[in-house]
Amino acid sequence: MGLVESGKLPKPLTSLLNTSRKYSLWIFQWGLACCAIEMGAALGAPRYDVMRLGVIPLPASPRQADLVCISGTVTDKMVPAIRRLYDQMPDPKYVISMGSCANCGGPYWDSYSVTKGIDQVIPVDVYVPGCPPRPEALLEGIVLLQERIGKEDMAARWKGDPIVVS
Amino acid sequence: MTALTERQQLAYANAQAADGRVNLEFETDEGMTLNMGPQHPATHGTLRIVVKLDGEEVISCEPIMGYMHRGYEKLTEVRTYPQVTTLINRIDWLGSFANEVPFILAAEKLMDIEAPPRAQWIRTVLFELSRIANISLFVGDMALHIGAISAAFYAFRDREYVLNQIEAATGGRFHPNFDRIGGLKDDLPKGWIADTKATMEKIRDFCDEMETLVEGNEIFQARTRGIGVIPADVALAYGLSGANLRASGVDWDLRRDEPVGLAWNECDWNVITHPDGDSFARFWVRLQEIRESTKIVDQLLDGLPAGPIMAKVPRIIKVPEGEAWVATENPLGEMGYYVVSKGDLGPFRVKIRTASFNNVAVIPWVTRGVYVPDVVTILASLYFILGDIDR
Amino acid sequence: MEETPEAPQVDEARQALVDKLAEELGDAVVEHHIRPGDDVWVRVTRDAWRTAGLVVRDHLNFRYFEFLSAIDWLPNPYGKNEDAPTDPRPEPNTEIVTGYAGGDTRFQVFARVHSLTQKLGLNLKVDLPDDDLSLTTWLPVFAGVNWHEREVHEMFGITFAGHPYLQNLYLPGEFEGHPLRKDFPLLARFVKPWPGIVDVEPMPASDDEAEAETEEAAE
Repeated sequence: MGLVESGKLPKPLTSLLNTSRKYSLWIFQWGLACCAIEMGAALGAPRYDVMRLGVIPLPASPRQADLVCISGTVTDKMVPAIRRLYDQMPDPKYVISMGSCANCGGPYWDSYSVTKGIDQVIPVDVYVPGCPPRPEALLEGIVLLQERIGKEDMAARWKGDPIVVS
Repeated sequence: MTALTERQQLAYANAQAADGRVNLEFETDEGMTLNMGPQHPATHGTLRIVVKLDGEEVISCEPIMGYMHRGYEKLTEVRTYPQVTTLINRIDWLGSFANEVPFILAAEKLMDIEAPPRAQWIRTVLFELSRIANISLFVGDMALHIGAISAAFYAFRDREYVLNQIEAATGGRFHPNFDRIGGLKDDLPKGWIADTKATMEKIRDFCDEMETLVEGNEIFQARTRGIGVIPADVALAYGLSGANLRASGVDWDLRRDEPVGLAWNECDWNVITHPDGDSFARFWVRLQEIRESTKIVDQLLDGLPAGPIMAKVPRIIKVPEGEAWVATENPLGEMGYYVVSKGDLGPFRVKIRTASFNNVAVIPWVTRGVYVPDVVTILASLYFILGDIDR
Repeated sequence: MEETPEAPQVDEARQALVDKLAEELGDAVVEHHIRPGDDVWVRVTRDAWRTAGLVVRDHLNFRYFEFLSAIDWLPNPYGKNEDAPTDPRPEPNTEIVTGYAGGDTRFQVFARVHSLTQKLGLNLKVDLPDDDLSLTTWLPVFAGVNWHEREVHEMFGITFAGHPYLQNLYLPGEFEGHPLRKDFPLLARFVKPWPGIVDVEPMPASDDEAEAETEEAAE
């Protein structure tokens, strides 16, 4: 779309596109450890249903996903697989880092085999703290991400400029 | 056609390169190599299984692990005893309270301290609650892996009731970090006993639901009966434990045979065994064990003794020199801690003997000659947690 | 704990077990230790490691395999690195003190087996000389020891003669070093100064507990 990257898109159309994008996220749940259970409870359990926010879990492959939620401890052995699957996701893609292990290494910060945070490998949009964070905390992270997407500048995203967080 | 920006070009190249590292490798002489994992919906976590196939039949199956290896045994050497308690909650992350108990008991054994009876009974109640939370997820998950997806939702829903009770008592849904050397952190809140009894009723209804939905289903039976038979002597040689051992006909339950001070022999319950040793037996044994756990919890809550919740321990805990081994019947099997202490604030070496490590070691043996879908069934029925294997 | 002036308890079942083991293995049993009512430790010589396993499994009927692992008895030379960077570092202690059933070397391999019929457990230990960290494999004795020996190999660097596949179990292929040895440092603790040095506020303590604390701090 030449309109998008030239920046001449009218404002109502941008906000319409952003709104439709933020309410139709397809989340690729990368569940590694204990946070995966809380993410499963948020995504699958009827109580903390995430589908009411418009976010559907379980895409068939990362190539159909918009959002990846990395939950659990990231080890050095696992990092190539994470990088590979992140690369397979098409743009625009977003990353939620869930749990303190994915944020910064967590309780295993001094271990010899744990990567101290997934943001060393892939760019992260939202950090959800907790060990494990309650499913409601993950839902709040998703809501925050949706607010950010709603205010995004689509031209900048398309051109690949650094995203400005407002 | 507009020119792509540099960033877009890089992203495209990355995606193509990622594609190039394919998962399937075709070898003409030895059969096809299929790589399942480490990110795979059917492997219970970050387990990688490399399967060599001859058509649909498995020639050899090798699990590759280490994707969740966090270095527990090294980390415990630089932490104090209460800090280790916080850390080991996360080994078997579904039934978390059960992980703390053998370590605390080993430290208490070395310090020659006994927790008061009320603390022991409440420990047992929380232990059984974590068992119910853990195994009800297994029941839903095994059905999910066979293909019956709705059972997983029921499992998550009913597990929430149990997690509510654990949270009401300890403050955390999982990873309660509630056990202390000498007793427990706090006493039970008001009204907890009545609520927990109501929850046990709901869990019994859940078991009935699973029996009608899943167990009696002929597709489920066709996919699990006779699959992955493990005879008793092989199970003993590999060190299988828990329901896997009992489903092979071995009548061994650490709660009855070697109780370590907790209150299991204060109540009346049965040890469930099954003679077959196949995947259906393992599922059936675990489902019945949930029922037995609810019975145990009811009886213990009826007869809970009054008294203090914590023995007299010094402010700064230094465990005297020695070595101790305590193993308990955790939801996944037999979990034991071999604690070597030198009189410091923290342990000198802790060897964590986890049930899933031995349970998964039998996979190359049991998957010879089965078909590819049966590999998934066998993995689901052996029931391991990656944190338990990799530590 | 008061010292009760009575004869030490004798654990007959475990003593009988040690006697039978000594009878079968003879000189190979170097030392033993029994904690009455609780547990028994037996140290055997390195050459008799596989024979001891076969004896224990077949003659004494200990058919359940619990685990096999190793201990490095060197005290940690690095400490936790939780002191202020300006404080003098404590002198590392290099004396090797071994545990139950003794030991002469820095590395010991120990295994635990269990008997379901007698409801007893048995810990077996063996010394390894520092210049030759190898041992015969227990694979013919218990099939489940396969992965345990692989883990000990990658964590301590101990080789098991006769094991068909001593590859890394947990660590990625490029990993260097043997993590569970005491001279393998946890580098994350050395990169930054420990942030918890300055405590916010002292914990409230009662009078006698505060006295006990100052006494312990002065030790």
